[in-house]
Amino acid sequence: MIETNEDRVITMSVMGVVISPSYPGIPAIPHQIDREGKPRLLPALGGIVYNVKVGDSVYGWAGDMIEPGVAIKAPDPAANEALNVFACVGNDAVVMSGNATGARGIVTGKSGRFAEHVIIHFATEILDQLAFGDKIVVHARGVGLAVNRFPGIYLKSLSPLLFDRLRLEENDGKLTVPVTAIVPPELMGAGAGLTSEGGAICIQSMDTAALARHGLDKLRLGDVVAITDYDSSYGHGYKKGSVSLGVVSATDSIRAGYGPGVTLLMTSPGGELDPLIVEGINIVNLLDVEARA
Amino acid sequence: MLRTNRDRLVEIAVGGEVWPAASRSPYRPNALGVAKIFMGTAGVILNARVGDPAYGWAADHVEPAVSIRNREDGPEHALHYLACIGNGAVMTSGVAKGARGVVTGEHAHILVDFPRDVLEKICIGDQVLIRAIGMGLEMLDYPDISVRKMSPELFDALRIEELGHGRIRVPVAAEIPGYLMGSGAELGADYVDQDMMTNDRETLAALGLDNLRIGDILAVRDHDHTVNRGYREGAITIGIINHADSFMTGHGPGVMDLLSCAMPKIEPVIDKRANLAVYLGIGNHDWADERRKLA
Repeated sequence: MIETNEDRVITMSVMGVVISPSYPGIPAIPHQIDREGKPRLLPALGGIVYNVKVGDSVYGWAGDMIEPGVAIKAPDPAANEALNVFACVGNDAVVMSGNATGARGIVTGKSGRFAEHVIIHFATEILDQLAFGDKIVVHARGVGLAVNRFPGIYLKSLSPLLFDRLRLEENDGKLTVPVTAIVPPELMGAGAGLTSEGGAICIQSMDTAALARHGLDKLRLGDVVAITDYDSSYGHGYKKGSVSLGVVSATDSIRAGYGPGVTLLMTSPGGELDPLIVEGINIVNLLDVEARA
Repeated sequence: MLRTNRDRLVEIAVGGEVWPAASRSPYRPNALGVAKIFMGTAGVILNARVGDPAYGWAADHVEPAVSIRNREDGPEHALHYLACIGNGAVMTSGVAKGARGVVTGEHAHILVDFPRDVLEKICIGDQVLIRAIGMGLEMLDYPDISVRKMSPELFDALRIEELGHGRIRVPVAAEIPGYLMGSGAELGADYVDQDMMTNDRETLAALGLDNLRIGDILAVRDHDHTVNRGYREGAITIGIINHADSFMTGHGPGVMDLLSCAMPKIEPVIDKRANLAVYLGIGNHDWADERRKLA
């Protein structure tokens, strides 16, 4: 049991509504330009996604950065920033209007610049009842969470529930953490230099040989991954010796510089996190996602 | 003979006005979490200019000399996409009306260098017209190499050497490893720049990248920016530093894309004179010695 200040962490409601995907209007050139310069038209960020779920592969979908389940956003930009920063992976979400009122889901991740969504898993029968504009409250709990014996490790978007289930172990002044894969800094892309309190940072997937070499070609939504030589204390950026931890929260992209989106959970500029590769470390299992939502 | 389509390029006017510096939140955390107040982008910078150090300024993302933008969204993006480094600019209103300058980069604003005596006569809101030429420039015998944001004058000044077998050599002030490329990965390669990440000062010093100058021509290893900006082993991108360093994590001097190839067909060769200010004779010095050695 790794001690935290969990008993002093605030639980607060933040609210968003189920939002539609959106595309640019006239002159009706809605394509994304892929890595080879080819325009392609695909489903992208946002909406209710019925057939891509946390636990599924991030690769191979005919889509661009698909958010599994439901994407929500608050209409007011300041309120949306609160939603995007305060909601934590593992928090409970409750539908507050519409046909699915009272249904419960679970926060599985966030999206970054150009989308700023919170991503929520619901059971398939609940997805069938949801509509755009339905209000969803997240019982946000996790911002301010700290590890008592490791003040140099910063926690972000991390619920106390998920923290407790990460199977952390203290060894020789470090926290050992099991992860599905370890991402080297050169593969981190879009999201660098942007906020680490919310949003996401992409694992670049253009160089498929490099991906395979690092065991990143079989990633699934919900996989817990470590990032080496990246400090995300105050924004994301290269710093030798730093170690960060995140959860894969959106699917692959066709664009250069982009790829599977990672929601950052922990960062240690001093390298006090020690990632250990263990197969199948995924929040579907860690959080009993199927049983809870 | 390096063949291009320069005789078919269109020269077109774009314009904007000298844009005031604006402070968003007065405090921002640096990489260590210390709240800082610093001067930022925009305005007329009288002292920090192209050719000067990219590091050490008591400021964040300094845009050298004059920053301009257009109030209207469409013309503003025309300014961003059409203005090329090395294009001529002319003041069309205010005390400095008629004075001539040179485009040195594209960041949050379009950056234009003027002589010091002109800079002192420029007021916020003064109108600037740019004779944009360079968009569409191609190297006809090198279809794998993308060309961006360069006036024909800058293209000539780069001293590109043909090596045969579809390969070229370009003098650069330094080489940057791909893992140091940060903020800007989310943007298209035809728009502004991607920052180097400079929080890790030890790594920077070990790589000899702690003495770069604004305007330096650089090579970025393992980055393919032919379409958008991304990591690809063996690829190479040639860029230019458009703005100065930053204290924010994931940020640093900005690198604008000039040439890029998904394959190793561009060979960089280190030459500390590879800087826009030296090439065009602009900035705080006349660079007479360096320019003589180039000739």
